[in-house]
Amino acid sequence: MARTKGYPDPKLETKLRDRYLYRTDSNPDFSKKVKDLSRTVSHMCFQCGTCTGSCPSAPRSSYRIRLFMRRNVLGLEEESLTDPDLWLCTTCYSCTDRCPRDIAPTDVIMSMRNFAYQRGIVPVNFLKTVQAIYQSGHGVPNNDVNRAARVRLGLAKDPPTTHSHPEYLPGIRQILDHYKVKAQADKIVAESEKKGA
Amino acid sequence: MAKDYALFLGCIAPNRYPGCESAGISCSKKVGINLHPLKGASCCPAPGAFGSIDLNVFMAMAARNIVLAEKMGMDIALECNGCYKSIWEVNHKLKHNDDLRDAVNEVLKTVKDPSDPSGKSDMEFKGTIDVWHLIELYYDPKVCGVEKIRDSVTRPLTGTRIGVHYGCHLLKPKKERHFGDTENPMWIEELVAALGAEPVQYRKKMQCCGAGGGVRGYDLVHSLDITNEKMINLHEAKVDAVTEVCPFCQLEFDRGQIEIQEKFGKFWGLPVLHYNELLGLAQGMSPTDLALDLHAVPVDPFLKKIL
Ligand code: SF4
Ligand code: SF4
Repeated sequence: MARTKGYPDPKLETKLRDRYLYRTDSNPDFSKKVKDLSRTVSHMCFQCGTCTGSCPSAPRSSYRIRLFMRRNVLGLEEESLTDPDLWLCTTCYSCTDRCPRDIAPTDVIMSMRNFAYQRGIVPVNFLKTVQAIYQSGHGVPNNDVNRAARVRLGLAKDPPTTHSHPEYLPGIRQILDHYKVKAQADKIVAESEKKGA
Repeated sequence: MAKDYALFLGCIAPNRYPGCESAGISCSKKVGINLHPLKGASCCPAPGAFGSIDLNVFMAMAARNIVLAEKMGMDIALECNGCYKSIWEVNHKLKHNDDLRDAVNEVLKTVKDPSDPSGKSDMEFKGTIDVWHLIELYYDPKVCGVEKIRDSVTRPLTGTRIGVHYGCHLLKPKKERHFGDTENPMWIEELVAALGAEPVQYRKKMQCCGAGGGVRGYDLVHSLDITNEKMINLHEAKVDAVTEVCPFCQLEFDRGQIEIQEKFGKFWGLPVLHYNELLGLAQGMSPTDLALDLHAVPVDPFLKKIL
């Protein structure tokens, strides 16, 4: 809401009226948090749009990386974290290579996604990868067709990874449990399946 | 003199395109690169999925894989851009940021190394090794070099036109990497020409495959529409195949073409080959030795030109 300047001359009051943007939902801590986690000078964005112009996701959706960069500067946490477009960045880093302010917009998106996840806002496909790795150590585990092909090639039917050495799995689970990502993943996936059912 | 590396496999090469794994091992041996399996390695972890939910767990998981190689006393070689993003980048970050390294080691301290019979937990990240993509080792004259690749060819891919897809996470972000130009690099083209094929330039060569950042899982048709744009541009340049250095890009291009047919009603039928598979063919391996039958899009039209 613009503020009145209280000038007695109504003409001057109109001409010089306050054009600042006031948002009650701005959270300056959000910009700081994003900057700290992304380790990029996110507040330096001058909105040139080079990032959106480089973005493979922009021409086929409403996703605009420049908009997220602006939201970041303005501290618009809610708007950033609840926008489904947040998940359309392919992390191709084209914007990062071209940004004239030497910002890494990709890393800004990644940190916003981290903060969204902390609030339980995250598409389930991300969490299913976590569950798969907890189970087998692999995001894309082996299968029977592939095992047969491996044997034909003279390879072991399972690769020498956690697939053949499950004794390494407890260490992996230890890391995932330390950050509580498995519990969080299970919870959100279960909730979404309940909703879907 | 031959050089030894710990081979970090990742997921998609060993579990979907095992030909990339077997060709990687046998082809590189012929050019003086010995790859030793990294026992107990896991997913890199997937940078899109893990980086998006928790950057700390992403780093700790990657660090565990790096520590396995540190214990072998070998640099890591790998053949996937996604793995490169996780393993190379985390190695680099932890070497240069004490706070990140300390945080990771705090967690790794609690992880037991099963190969240590004393049961003492000793998974500390020390920063003693480097990480390489096989393709950069092929190109590096100190390790292999284009000449050696050319000399290893027994069945030149003469008469074929090949488009190169570099993928994103090998070269970008360029400020952190060491490959120079990311707008129109030409060094993988040199490696393709060394096999006797003709590397072909095409529109928007450096565009993403569409799979990364979790987008393939989140919004498949969005992801495929990016892939389809690559297909249009490759088709326009009349290539016989597209080559890449990332099994995830390969999956997106290969299986993606079947999905593009289902969703958009357009079939491109463009053979997709990892550089290691191409190198395997050029070094005389048979399509069966490379399990090319596992590809969703038949590679036969390409094979007809060279066999
Ligand atoms: S390219 Fe950089 S400065 Fe320009 S709008 Fe994007 S983030 Fe801001
Ligand atoms: S990294 Fe993300 S935001 Fe940047 S250009 Fe690529 S898809 Fe767009």
